[in-house]
Amino acid sequence: MENIALTSSPTTPYFPEVNFDVNKGTCEISGESYMEETYKFYLPLINWIKDFTNNIKRPIELNIKLIYLNTSSTKCVLDMLEILKDYEDEGGKVKVKWYYDKSDPDMVDEVEDFEAESGIKIELIEFEQ
Amino acid sequence: MNDTVLIMTGKTILSYKGPFYIELISVFGTNIRNFNDSFSNARKKLFKIFIELSQNVSNYSEDFHMVNNVQRIGVGELTLKETDASYVFTTRNQVKDKDASILAERCELVNASDQLKLRDLKREQRLNSPGEKFGARIGLIQAVMLSKNKLEYHIDQINEKFSYFSLTVKVDKN
Repeated sequence: MENIALTSSPTTPYFPEVNFDVNKGTCEISGESYMEETYKFYLPLINWIKDFTNNIKRPIELNIKLIYLNTSSTKCVLDMLEILKDYEDEGGKVKVKWYYDKSDPDMVDEVEDFEAESGIKIELIEFEQ
Repeated sequence: MNDTVLIMTGKTILSYKGPFYIELISVFGTNIRNFNDSFSNARKKLFKIFIELSQNVSNYSEDFHMVNNVQRIGVGELTLKETDASYVFTTRNQVKDKDASILAERCELVNASDQLKLRDLKREQRLNSPGEKFGARIGLIQAVMLSKNKLEYHIDQINEKFSYFSLTVKVDKN
């Protein structure tokens, strides 16, 4: 199983930066997410989490620092959270942290919705842009 | 009626007609978010609504370009106007006649729902969406939840198969 590292670029700000590290058991997504063909972008990330939780079976931490994600991206993030919830229910150790811009009140509601829909606990952490 | 007057009298910030490439949407959106220092909360909401509704045109317009024979890019129109009290964003694109009535029903459902009901609808639709190319199917709900204003829509029939569907969202500055 390999790490995933995608850097963001000012010319394509609609793609987030991604760092999934097998050894650390950490998955980090940051920046903005509103690309075309959202599912095509997220499918390898979803499969990575499936692979990790099915085969590596160590503690896993998902850290999200997205300033904006479109509604298609929210569906993909929900898919990831559901996989992590299943892993947690089977005894896996999971931590989810969501860093949000404190000047954006709508993001807190969004995270509450993710918690309600997936059933997983999400730790909200403020940051200043 | 009042909103129609607003649209007619507002100052045009942006107007575009053509294919809704992501590169263009992104540049327009970034300008909307950053074009001045005033009303930053309203512009953050406007940016989110702008991206969501523009991507609806890009994904679903019946008038489209094919890029390299694989990627379908919807063609449509957008207009962003500014008044003293609000930003008014409109998209317009071709739809099949039968889809126009489905879209109108969705707008009516969203407009008839308060914020709590909208939140329930959003959760329900996102959970039940098949995903993949269909996305979350909650863009219209999100637009009303963010703007706290009702959607305005208009259908102009082109022929027995197609219509133009236009959608307007008003974002109050304060």
